[in-house]
Amino acid sequence: MMTCKDVSTLVSTGGLSDAPLVRRLAVRLHLAMCRHCRAFRRQVEAVARSARAAAAALEVEPLHDFESNIVERLRQ
Amino acid sequence: MSAAGPANITEATRSGRVWLGMMEDVVPLDDAYLERLRRRDPEALRSIVDGQGRRLYRAARGMGFSKSEAEDLVQDVFVTFIESIERFEGRAQVGTWLFGILHHKSQERWRTVVREELNDPVDQVFESQFDARGSWIRPPAAPDQHVGAREAADAIRDCVDGLSPLQREVFQLRQVEELSAADVSKIVGQTITHIGVLLHRARTKLRSCLEGKGWGRSR
Ligand SMILES: [Zn+2]
Repeated sequence: MMTCKDVSTLVSTGGLSDAPLVRRLAVRLHLAMCRHCRAFRRQVEAVARSARAAAAALEVEPLHDFESNIVERLRQ
Repeated sequence: MSAAGPANITEATRSGRVWLGMMEDVVPLDDAYLERLRRRDPEALRSIVDGQGRRLYRAARGMGFSKSEAEDLVQDVFVTFIESIERFEGRAQVGTWLFGILHHKSQERWRTVVREELNDPVDQVFESQFDARGSWIRPPAAPDQHVGAREAADAIRDCVDGLSPLQREVFQLRQVEELSAADVSKIVGQTITHIGVLLHRARTKLRSCLEGKGWGRSR
């Protein structure tokens, strides 16, 4: 039996996709039954979403000549 | 296979399909295209800069560099890439390779080889959420669905300052750039297991910082 600590550690380290199938199924089963671990996973996902929202504001910062300047420098 | 190669990427660009950074993470650069880069063919240079420049800039900013530092850094990354293109020779995905150069350049700027402590006090923060049997003592609250995207983005910008440089970089590469643990492991020169530890620490710190800002508090 996987504990809440096992499941949330695996979710948090991002190791789930590399885990063996049996373990992935055990995590899925636990998540289906445990609302606390589901809430934990949603928190983790919400943190990632807001980080991506913050990053989206960053990539529009450089002015339009950003790329041209780099190409200019590379051609020197 | 040239069918999926950069000759077609250029065609795709011409035909109006956007050539974004994610794409050539799966498309290795072919020899003809590398040769054009080596000769500093303007069109080839332009397509790689268009495809990767802003993504690298975004990562540099996410790692904590100022606007002008990030612009400088990205220029340096491309200069090094073109100068060392013989060593690239299509053996890595270009996105991963460029992020690897960015990693080294950022360490040069910080004038330090960033090492991660074996233990971080935040491990205790995570541990303290569970009892001896591994059950939640203080169950997490489901995140507030009503927090706006802008508000959330503002909150997280403050919170990332609390991360160590390596935690911040790993969080950025895994969560924002959505690179695999294996790729990030190559970029920063740490084991895949340790990438997991770093991501876990970053997430724990961020959740705790955001909770301190009243985020996801149950009402
Ligand atoms: Zn649970």
